[in-house]
Amino acid sequence: MPVDPVLSVRGLSKRFEGLRALAGIDFDVASGEIFGVIGPNGAGKTTLFSCLVGAVAPTTGTIRFRGERIDGLSNHEIVGRGLVRTHQIVRPFKEMTVEENVSIGEYFGSGSRRRADPERRVAEILELTSLSRRADVLAGTLTIGELKRLEIARALATEPEVLCLDEIMGGLNPAEIVAAMSLVRSVRESGVTVLMIEHHVHAVLGVSDRIMVLNFGERIAEGTPSEVMRHPEVVKAYLGEEIVESA
Amino acid sequence: MKELLAVLVNSLLAAGLYATMSYGLAVIYGVMRIINLAHAGILMLGAYATLTLFNHFHLDPFLSVAVVVPLFFGLGVLFYVAVVRRLPRSGAGPSIESLLLLFGVWLILQNLAYAIWGGDTQSILTSYTMKSVEIAGVRVGVPNLLVFGVSALSLLLLQIVLRGTFLGRAIRAVTQNRDAALISGVNADRISAVAFGIGTAFAAVAGSGLATLFAFTPEFGRSFLLKSFCIIVLAGMESVAGVALGALVLALLESAVGAYTSIPTSFQDALSFTLLVVALVAFPQGLLGLFSRLAARRRAAA
Amino acid sequence: MTGRFRLGRALLLAGAALALLAAAPKVLERGSANDIWNLAFAVALASAWNLLGGFAGQISIGYSAFLGIGAYTTALLALKGVNVWATLPLAALLGALFSIFVGWPTFRLRGPYFTIATIGVSEAVRVFAAGVSFTGGSSGLRMPPGSFDFTRNYLAMVTLAVGVVFLSAWIRGSAFGRALAAIRQDIDAAEALGVNSTKYKLLVHALSAALVAVAGSLFAINFQYISPGSVFDFRLSLSIVLMPIVGGLGTVAGPVLGAILFGYLQIKMLSTPALRDSNLFLYGGLLVAVMLFEPKGLMGVFRRLQRAASRSLPKSVPDAR
Repeated sequence: MPVDPVLSVRGLSKRFEGLRALAGIDFDVASGEIFGVIGPNGAGKTTLFSCLVGAVAPTTGTIRFRGERIDGLSNHEIVGRGLVRTHQIVRPFKEMTVEENVSIGEYFGSGSRRRADPERRVAEILELTSLSRRADVLAGTLTIGELKRLEIARALATEPEVLCLDEIMGGLNPAEIVAAMSLVRSVRESGVTVLMIEHHVHAVLGVSDRIMVLNFGERIAEGTPSEVMRHPEVVKAYLGEEIVESA
Repeated sequence: MKELLAVLVNSLLAAGLYATMSYGLAVIYGVMRIINLAHAGILMLGAYATLTLFNHFHLDPFLSVAVVVPLFFGLGVLFYVAVVRRLPRSGAGPSIESLLLLFGVWLILQNLAYAIWGGDTQSILTSYTMKSVEIAGVRVGVPNLLVFGVSALSLLLLQIVLRGTFLGRAIRAVTQNRDAALISGVNADRISAVAFGIGTAFAAVAGSGLATLFAFTPEFGRSFLLKSFCIIVLAGMESVAGVALGALVLALLESAVGAYTSIPTSFQDALSFTLLVVALVAFPQGLLGLFSRLAARRRAAA
Repeated sequence: MTGRFRLGRALLLAGAALALLAAAPKVLERGSANDIWNLAFAVALASAWNLLGGFAGQISIGYSAFLGIGAYTTALLALKGVNVWATLPLAALLGALFSIFVGWPTFRLRGPYFTIATIGVSEAVRVFAAGVSFTGGSSGLRMPPGSFDFTRNYLAMVTLAVGVVFLSAWIRGSAFGRALAAIRQDIDAAEALGVNSTKYKLLVHALSAALVAVAGSLFAINFQYISPGSVFDFRLSLSIVLMPIVGGLGTVAGPVLGAILFGYLQIKMLSTPALRDSNLFLYGGLLVAVMLFEPKGLMGVFRRLQRAASRSLPKSVPDAR
């Protein structure tokens, strides 16, 4: 466990009408880390992100961001403090252009008050996410790869300190996956801490500093990629195949 | 004590009618997630249809139910096939387009009534309209009793259909989980048509009943529509038992306010409107939904 | 969302429109000036409603409440001797405050549920106004004599109308307008990017309500007599909603077009004896037709024609759009 973590979660549980999605999750994330979150379907990964950003209120537990408690705050308040996420199923504003979509994050995210030249920053982000050529296109007409990059661009525009990426590589071809991994690294280089939920296990293993594994709402392992891969519980949870292949 | 009993008996009788009236709205919402504002127009047409049958064919309003039900069921199915089916469906939730469209239909129905029957206040006077009987020491109007009887009977028949027939089970399935029902082979289109027919028929029967109790004009229906909304929001919009419970709660509240306070009846409408807003905001899943959530939580903690 | 808002150009257009409208009564007969007053009234209401209903996507069928609040505030204060024009700011303030009172609980509701709640609220207000004595009850109020000056009333109303349309255009091109559009399209995604949706909804609702209240005040000043039936009428709430829907929800020109079309149809119907009682057929028929065939209204029809026209023309340069 890192000292002075930027994000600190204790005892996080979430119940949906008798269904236990998360049960007593504890973990810390160090500033500047790339922290992977993996696990079988239904393990509670997206629910975890929803709790972190305040889209959903945790049933019990505490979430500390930069030492301050944020559990119970609303989504927009948490984004205003610098913690944001992308959606697994993309949610673009279809009737707006790419540039307008990104500008929403720009104008209303945590950086909105410090902004000197918002248009230039939006252009920079579009450049970083390879969307510059599509800036004036309506979001409703983009390809899935572009839509995933738009999700990231919008979230980046809020000038976060911690960015939670939810399965950004879903539906991408191998070349796009490599590009995505490189994008995640450059985001970290710019000073942003990254949490990543991913099903492409080899990609997340290749990029993360540490990984946490969830199964049935519980944390079953945490550590460096190699530690986690060898963990018997993890191998069991995935039924061996995927982990063994990418080892 | 006598007064309390009177309040209870009158509430029960009113609740029967309210339940029938609201169920029409609930079944359409449950199956299609459509909020049928034309419901008010159907209530009104049911009343006028009964009036016409009474004036021209001298058919007793309670017997005319036998004509009203199949007629309006057919009209409902026809309307679904011709119009509602064509609406764009945006996701699983109710759409504003369907809301506004049905609103438009309500307005058209109102104008139709003005054109055919005129704007004068109408009422149905039978030989027993003014008679009353005594039940448990409380004076109750004969029409009120008969209306309750018809309502109770129709809700009972409905329960039998819902529990006993394949069609009924299909309706319940689609109401509870549309996707699962579709995967299981339920024909959504046919079920929706039937649901719309049932909803329309129930609204018409309620309108019939209302016609024997109140005087009416083509404007009639608006406050009943809002009462119905209030009830189905309280009821969680999905079960017959819930609708009956919600109807009882509203009827009790109205009777209590009428009996124990001096607030005039026109303000009672404001009461149901306020209750509606409160219910929408505080109980998005209705009273029964609240209970089931509490029960689920207790079960999970065990 | 197309076209950037250019302040200079918009001011010029607004100024020109205002000058034109101001000059109109000098060349037209009194009857036509009255028609323009009515049209301006409709445009002001439709465009103001559109801020919440079209831009933010929250459909409220309860706007007659704000109209009534404005009208009654002005009438009651005028009867106490206050100069009518001085009552306008208070009317706007009260309209805004009431909108917050209504919006605070109901904005938690989504889509059609919000709409139903607004119907409930406006009915409650009407019943209240008819039942309470200080508002004159159901017989209404008459303005004090001597306050009528048609030229001033006319100028006030056209200024309001032009002002509201100008404001719409400005908001549409601003960051605030973009937030509203985000809220309309996907409220959760907007929240996930830092947009405080409740705050913005309340804000635009208050602005919209204040403008409608001022229109209500001007109505009282011009018609000299108000009653719950005339200003808190449900059918009024309905026409306020229909005009932007028919014209094109969420656009700047849509409410204006809708108001013009509506006004024209109303006039035609009133002058044809056979159709005089058929205004519900009109409202209902329009709603049904628009929802079934073109939910984006007249503006939607224009855009479709535009696209069809540009597709059929030969292109010499590849189109990046």
